[in-house]
Amino acid sequence: MPDIRLPAEAKYRNELEALAAHDDRPRPPGWALSPRAVETYILGSPKPVGGVPITPKYVGDKSLIQVCIATLASDRALMLVGEPGTAKSWLSEHLSAAISGTSALIVQGTAGTSEDHLKYSWNYALLLAQGPSAEALVPSPVLRAMRLGKFARFEEVTRTSPEIQDSLISILSEKQVSIPELGEVVSAQRGFNLIATANTRDRGVNEMSAALKRRFNFVTVPVVEDLEQEIQIVTKREAELRNDYQVGVPPPEELSRLLLTLFQELRKGVTKDGKTKVRTPGAVLSTAEAISVLFNSSILAEQFGGGKVTPNELAASLVGAVVKEQEDDVKALREYMETVAKGRTGPWKELYTASKKLLRG
Amino acid sequence: MDLALLSRVHLFPVRHHSPRTTAVLVRWLERVRPEVVLVEGPCDASGLVDVLCDEGTKPPVAILGYRTDGTPGSALWPFAEYSPEYAALRWAKATKARAEFIDIPVGVSLEVDREEAHGEEEAPESGVTPGESASGNAKAPGTGTATGKRAPGNVSRKPAKAPGAVAATGEPAPDDEAQESDVWEEPISERFARERGYRSFEELWEALFEAPAWTPEDFRPVLLAWADVLNAGPRREYHRWREAFMARRVLEVVASGVPPEKVAVIAGAAHVAAFLANDVDAAQESRLPEGVPCAVTVIPYSFPRLAEQLGYGAGNRAPHFYQKAHEAQGDFRRATLEVLIDFAGHLRMRGFTASLSDVLEAYRLALALADMREKSAPGLDELREATVATLCRGDATHVDDFLWKSVIGHQVGRVASRIGRNSLQAEFWREVDARRLPRSDSPETFSLRLNNDVEVGSSVFLHRLRVAGIPYASLSGAGQQRGAAPQEAGGYAALTRVRESWQAQWTPSTDVALVEKIVLGDTLEAVTTRVLQERLSAAKTTAAAADVLLESVITGCPQTVASALRACDARAATDSDLPSLASAARALSGLVAYGTSRAHAEVGDEAVAVLCEKTFGRALLRVREASACAPDAVGAVLEALRTLHEVALAQPRADKAGWLAEARALMESHAVHPATSGLATGLLYLARELSESDVALEVGRRLSLAVEPEAGAAYLEGFLQVNALVLVKSREVVKALDDFLSGVDAERFRQTLPVLRRALGALGPTERRYLMENVVAVRQLGARAHAVKGVLEEKDKERLEGMSAELGKALDDLDDLL
Repeated sequence: MPDIRLPAEAKYRNELEALAAHDDRPRPPGWALSPRAVETYILGSPKPVGGVPITPKYVGDKSLIQVCIATLASDRALMLVGEPGTAKSWLSEHLSAAISGTSALIVQGTAGTSEDHLKYSWNYALLLAQGPSAEALVPSPVLRAMRLGKFARFEEVTRTSPEIQDSLISILSEKQVSIPELGEVVSAQRGFNLIATANTRDRGVNEMSAALKRRFNFVTVPVVEDLEQEIQIVTKREAELRNDYQVGVPPPEELSRLLLTLFQELRKGVTKDGKTKVRTPGAVLSTAEAISVLFNSSILAEQFGGGKVTPNELAASLVGAVVKEQEDDVKALREYMETVAKGRTGPWKELYTASKKLLRG
Repeated sequence: MDLALLSRVHLFPVRHHSPRTTAVLVRWLERVRPEVVLVEGPCDASGLVDVLCDEGTKPPVAILGYRTDGTPGSALWPFAEYSPEYAALRWAKATKARAEFIDIPVGVSLEVDREEAHGEEEAPESGVTPGESASGNAKAPGTGTATGKRAPGNVSRKPAKAPGAVAATGEPAPDDEAQESDVWEEPISERFARERGYRSFEELWEALFEAPAWTPEDFRPVLLAWADVLNAGPRREYHRWREAFMARRVLEVVASGVPPEKVAVIAGAAHVAAFLANDVDAAQESRLPEGVPCAVTVIPYSFPRLAEQLGYGAGNRAPHFYQKAHEAQGDFRRATLEVLIDFAGHLRMRGFTASLSDVLEAYRLALALADMREKSAPGLDELREATVATLCRGDATHVDDFLWKSVIGHQVGRVASRIGRNSLQAEFWREVDARRLPRSDSPETFSLRLNNDVEVGSSVFLHRLRVAGIPYASLSGAGQQRGAAPQEAGGYAALTRVRESWQAQWTPSTDVALVEKIVLGDTLEAVTTRVLQERLSAAKTTAAAADVLLESVITGCPQTVASALRACDARAATDSDLPSLASAARALSGLVAYGTSRAHAEVGDEAVAVLCEKTFGRALLRVREASACAPDAVGAVLEALRTLHEVALAQPRADKAGWLAEARALMESHAVHPATSGLATGLLYLARELSESDVALEVGRRLSLAVEPEAGAAYLEGFLQVNALVLVKSREVVKALDDFLSGVDAERFRQTLPVLRRALGALGPTERRYLMENVVAVRQLGARAHAVKGVLEEKDKERLEGMSAELGKALDDLDDLL
């Protein structure tokens, strides 16, 4: 059985190889590509490189990507912050894949993340049998990245406890991990760096200390505000998902447009023409959420509908997505349907009728 | 005229306000060592070169040219220390070379502006032309237009420049393009930049022209090549006329016996390119219009204004940053580092952490970004991005809120004392210094207590500036009541104030206005008097005359106080407009109460009191007639009635009995608009002229079923305008109301709904509560109300939710019905 999801370096192997083959600019030590080639890989290129078309991985501000790359070439780590679903992890994965050739050295930050996940732990059977030895040592992704001179990724830093964040400080400033049991100090090889992500909605859960912040350069990944841009992102990613999972039918363009108009209006709290105020739901209405709603409705249409995505499927997936956290969000959505969708024509009418049934229950 | 000689003089192309050009130019001058330096700038300002180069003059400063024939109109030619033209003048002064301006005189360029403003009416953009300031300035010197904004020696009034086009010379070329070829959409320079992957022309300019350490040999051809790109499109005729003029001036210098190789000409790149291409037609000069009479002077200028000019050719995005680069001889890396250190200081001052290592990292990041973008040094874009990523931890709000201001800078220039200030400027600065008022180009707030002569004097001074239309200070409040509705700066409100809060900011337009206003008088008092006299002769109504009277008192202009009083008297005799008379009566009553002492008027307060009495009497005569008005005029009448009531009660000289009689008549009359009757009833009740039962009776009668519901609703509207709280507290009044409302049948109810809604919508929460309480009591709903209250107080969510579900269902049903 093939993997559900390939890591970026595998999925885009031919793009990366073509870029590397045609990259004649100087590469920072330990980098697989030059900064300029990394930029091309992330933002895509209108003309194929070495016959391979380079697809855009991130649609948006070029200077944001440049700041990321310039940071990673320095001794500071990169912190991507932003609302949930703004492609922070996606960006981190692609940057690591392009620069280090692997995006797999990853630590997922949770309340349960311990220092072992950051440094090393032991294979206890071996440890008991042989005592501390290099074989018995189980290095963490960060330690492996240091040894290999590659990028480590640390997701959701603010979810981890202050103690873990503190131990991150010493790793980032000394670039060393000492293993007293072996009487050994592992120093990071050139090419090591760390990309962390943090969620602005989690701010205050475990606020980062000033000392930790100083080890990072911060890049805020913005919520996409341009409708056309967001439609482009969502359509592209949804098609990829359908391809990966081999399910679903392509939704019509007008429905993607409708969905994203709705998302942007709910997010902003006002309609596109600026005339009607709408209530903003508490649930996160990210681009990622829009992708999932669209993908979901395309599966619904294929499996349980008429093989064509209609506003009925969209309404069904939408309600599930928007109404997650609070009951209040039902009201916000209902209000939106009553005040905005109702007055519009075409698929909006159908969406209104479909959602009316769902929301009443 | 031998135009071929032109190519034998030394020509140096510049872009205005470009530190790199300045650095290169100075080195070039050192090498060429000319004896005569000719600079693009109005030739009639050549006499000011000494002032500009004086030790006591500190840029930014600007040459101000203004009309002297009484028609307002002016233009500015600003210079920063890093402007190449300024550096050339300074160099000439230091080496004792002769320095002159060679462009067309101010009078001619003002005339060209005016003609174009007329001629361009068909062009859609002419309306927003920033550069039209030359004439726009005239109309409203108080507004920003007065800054005149134009590049030295150039006619940047072209709107086409607004979208950020800045020619190599900061000047004509790009706007020619936008002007004539591609109507406004994207000037050639912006398109050029975008095609090369830059975000704006400014970014391209910084990357390609400012940052590299050019030598004079390399820089000249690059600038000229750029000018050629821009000149490729059709050029505006006007520049050709100017070039003919400038060429003649240059050749005259050569003809006077100076060898051509000892002459250096510093002009915009587009002009120099034309000179070099021998593309000058001497005959074109005759097409320049006749100049208007003008004078020139030098006034201080400021960095914020220079930054404002960005967009049409003659400014900088960040003058302070460029100043730093200039001081570092064009080293933009150093400028970046200095600004980052400044930023860290600002952040620390506001309590944020910003360590030295952050600054270093920001600097490193800026360099790395510049490197990635193949720029030889960081520019403003890299500076900004690096600051956000490091010092600001990804949050751009600090940069926008306060950091960016420091790359713009707030420096204000100084002009050597040897140049005479006119008497208005002198008075302004004397007063500002003596009264310790703000003198910087950033807004400052302060307040005045009007209980001593000194601060009253300051207030008079500021009000005079306001009335004279000299932009400097604006009233931000009356001190004590914060958050109160903003008051009018002058008029009745000003009389009653004990404190005034002002916000003041000097801008170059302050000085521009001071220079221009000299035609109206030599002192501020004279100017204000003149302005007020003009307003007085334009005043048609008593109210307008009374307004002038108030302004005269507030601005301490005794002359106009006397004439405004006479005008009030004369207008009141023939005025038949109640609102106007009422407003005049209030103004006069205010003067009787608070005195005219600010104005030291000779007429004395007794004259005012007599006039107040008379005007009030005249107003009373109009009450009934005015109250029988059409529905659309009733708002003004109601306002007037309230004003009269207020005056009658507050002012002992007013005929109180007369007013009360009038009010009673209004109350009883059915011929007048019902809202006025309602208002009269309310006012009388409030003045304790009617008892509660009288009111209830009256309201009941007015709202009885025999009366048209529309009339009833209008009555109610007037009635509730008066202190509604007192009214809704009266149970009897509420009962009459309730009976009226429940008596209206459904069809009529719908018709009267808008008026009712207006009447009741004005009630605040407290009033509503009393109203509800009384309704409950009248209808004896006490018991049921208790039950409702029980539900409300019970924190039983289920029951509440049940209710809201029911309500939701009801709403849905209503939806279906509609």
